[in-house]
Amino acid sequence: MIKKQYTGNARRARNIIWNAAGRYDFDPPFMAFFANGVPDTYFNMVAGLVAKWLDLPSILHFFLEYESDHRAAEFDDLLWLGLENCVYEKELPERPHLEALRKRRAERFYEEQASYSRQQMAYQSMMVYTQQEFRWAGISGRRRPLMTPREARMAEALRFSGSLGTEELLTEMRRFLMDFFHYDPGRSREKRGIGANPLLRAILRHEGNAKDRLLVRMGSGEGNHPKAVQQRHIRTIRRSDPTEKDAAYIRDVFGRSLLSEGELRILERELCIGSDEGCRLWVTRGDKVETTDKDALEVRESAARQQKKNEEWFREHAALLSGSMRALAAKLETVLSSYYMHVPEMSRAGRVRSEVVWRLPVINDNRVFLRSGEETEPELCVDLLLDASQSRMHSQEVLAAEAWIICRSFEKNHIPVRVHMFRSLRGFTVLECLRSFGERDSRALLRYYAGGWNRDGLAIEALARMGDGHSAHSFAGAGSISSGSAFGGAGTGFSGPAFAGMDSSASVQGKTRFLLILTDAAPNDSHPLAAEGLNLPKEYEGAAAVTAAQEAVRIVRSQGLRVGAVFHGNTSHLENVHQIYGQNYVRIRQASQLAEGVSELFLKLMRGGK
Amino acid sequence: MAELSAFLKEEGISPALLQKVEEFRKQYPVQADCASRVPDPEYLYYGRKTWELAIAAILSGNHLLLAGPKATGKNVLCENLSALFGRPLWNMSFHVGTDAASLVGTDTFDGQAGSFRPGPVWLCAKKGGFGILDEINMAKNEALAVLHAALDFRRVLDVPGYDRTELRSETRFIATMNYGYAGTRDLNEALASRFVVLNMPVIAEEDLGKLISRRYPSIRPKLRDQFVKLYTELERKAESAEISDSAVDLRGLLDALSLMAQGLSSGDALEMGIVNKSFDNYERGLIRDVISARIPSDLTSELVFEA
Repeated sequence: MIKKQYTGNARRARNIIWNAAGRYDFDPPFMAFFANGVPDTYFNMVAGLVAKWLDLPSILHFFLEYESDHRAAEFDDLLWLGLENCVYEKELPERPHLEALRKRRAERFYEEQASYSRQQMAYQSMMVYTQQEFRWAGISGRRRPLMTPREARMAEALRFSGSLGTEELLTEMRRFLMDFFHYDPGRSREKRGIGANPLLRAILRHEGNAKDRLLVRMGSGEGNHPKAVQQRHIRTIRRSDPTEKDAAYIRDVFGRSLLSEGELRILERELCIGSDEGCRLWVTRGDKVETTDKDALEVRESAARQQKKNEEWFREHAALLSGSMRALAAKLETVLSSYYMHVPEMSRAGRVRSEVVWRLPVINDNRVFLRSGEETEPELCVDLLLDASQSRMHSQEVLAAEAWIICRSFEKNHIPVRVHMFRSLRGFTVLECLRSFGERDSRALLRYYAGGWNRDGLAIEALARMGDGHSAHSFAGAGSISSGSAFGGAGTGFSGPAFAGMDSSASVQGKTRFLLILTDAAPNDSHPLAAEGLNLPKEYEGAAAVTAAQEAVRIVRSQGLRVGAVFHGNTSHLENVHQIYGQNYVRIRQASQLAEGVSELFLKLMRGGK
Repeated sequence: MAELSAFLKEEGISPALLQKVEEFRKQYPVQADCASRVPDPEYLYYGRKTWELAIAAILSGNHLLLAGPKATGKNVLCENLSALFGRPLWNMSFHVGTDAASLVGTDTFDGQAGSFRPGPVWLCAKKGGFGILDEINMAKNEALAVLHAALDFRRVLDVPGYDRTELRSETRFIATMNYGYAGTRDLNEALASRFVVLNMPVIAEEDLGKLISRRYPSIRPKLRDQFVKLYTELERKAESAEISDSAVDLRGLLDALSLMAQGLSSGDALEMGIVNKSFDNYERGLIRDVISARIPSDLTSELVFEA
């Protein structure tokens, strides 16, 4: 058998399956992982035991029979519960320890549920959840949930006996689907006439956008939660692009866009290409619009609650945070000392300044030359980009505080800083400005909250497009928006009130731009990666998403930005951060490491690390 | 010997072969000065067919080459054969620096003149013993050329400038080799042709169970079976090249059991005996997964062994 090469968790999961199956001559069609990417030992064992005790191809064929049905994910979850019981009973006499492993898995079920976000819970089928809870409650000796008579019958039916052979088991599985869902896999497939063509079946999968709502959940906030939250992709890949209804939802939730419709379109034409095709962008300052949308209002309330929590946490730790800020500012001062440029001043000798040379003959002013002055200022500016996806749920307060520390430290060194948070929802990647270059008040960073997905690549590219203001035109220096566009002339185009006074263009022009991203290096979005050629779209997650983010970083670096990451995630994502940012990242576990870590990263970037 | 014979009868070894072994022993009594060299084995080799093949090879006057992977019981069988035939044992561990002198003997100074100090091969030949050439393929082939005349039909050792001796009829050499170990090389064809080769099978589950029971008579049978299955699973994983064979260590498993008997928890004992044999962190994780799927980590001595 020619084996595929697997690495990390996938290889571990396969090994658990092979070990339980007692053979290594097949490529496991099923694998189980927890939300944080770690293999689910018990359910991988169950998958292996299915291969050991039952005819795996027949079981696989059964699962494929209903694959195109919209309830397929529910059927999977329920039938695996049934299979679990069957192979457990078969294996137990040979492996007495299985009982303890099963019990441990039951406990893990409750731990996992405790860490689920509301969004994850929203994705969870209540029917499946009840059945799982019933099963694991019985095993772990907890009180079983109250169930309706139908649910109780379902739970009983899912206790597939260990005495069943493959054919009998398949009959039981068919009967189960028929009794409880009036669904006959074989017949339904024929009826639809799509037969066994997996391509057609896959194309016919569809998931509506309506489920992709932003739900903000309060995490522990301290960043001390042992488990990372990773949103689970539901089984089918969403293929429909964002609609106007989605745009309205985004506006209701995040506030009006700083860019006009036309500006957004041009930006999207430039950026939403390749793997991000079909995605949309939204740039906002969080200026709320009138809405009656219940979801939007709920999000606003949650965000306000989180802001209060951030502020409270900030107050409680004010001394520590100020200390960290001073330490980082001091370190940055040392790092920056070699980077300060003397501000030129007018003088009677030096380099002639052509635009004012007329003053010499006309008004007899001989100070028409520029010379290196006494004052100094750094010729650089910093963009801070905060990953505000659901995965940061357990670190919201800490991340807001860290962003404040970094922002204030640069500010103390007279370096313009701008802060955005980003998240993705319903195919929109939303950049929300918390603080722009000209602003002095950094407390706005405490508006940070986590919720939604994160399409890192697109967010990075979009931010790179944002020059001194939030106008695409001001990015002309990076050179990809065509001069023939509506935003052709620098300083012209939209000069509407939304932008006036937001950032002085002098704050960025000619300066070296640094982009620091506070990230967990786990890009993950509900909108799939665009399909290449005839291939089907792939989920924006895992290795594919990391590669997309890596490509985005490569592009913005080639445009002159110096990009570095402040990594605040799981060890399992260390490979990702390394792949996306190369050497230019620093891992921070607690605020006390911030001064050392960020200054070191900044020094690395200053030395030219792109 | 009586115990070993009884064990072999129990194992179902052909009575005719055992009868011939008995005759061999009577024909070649062990010399008094080397009686202490006849081993009293701690472990017994399990595997009826292998026993019969090895006994037949020895009885027919052949030298034996035991080839097989790690932990297949090559050295245990050597010791067992020596004990069964009642022969004194000379054990020679081969390494890259092994040379003719270290095998046959070397010149030495006795205070007045140079004299020959016999090496293990020479003594084995003179005393009618069994010489174990352990890991024979670790040595350079040139060093082994000295054995050619001793191992073929000539059965003679000629030391230039000293003496020439014939091998006693009961003398046998049993070599062991493992193809997989680092540092091993292919055996010289001329040397290999002087042995009959016995490929050592991997120990069967049933035999491993017996081995453990014999070593630890008080082990609870249900748990013993789990340890046996654990070993088999690790072996299968190594065969499939998912892990190296460093953790497939029978000695390690037995050592872990003895650590448990000393009071260590099963988790700690298996960690020391098996998991830590691998020096790759990721591989250790895979090995731990296999163990945790089979053996609880908190088993105490009382749970593993009966009082």
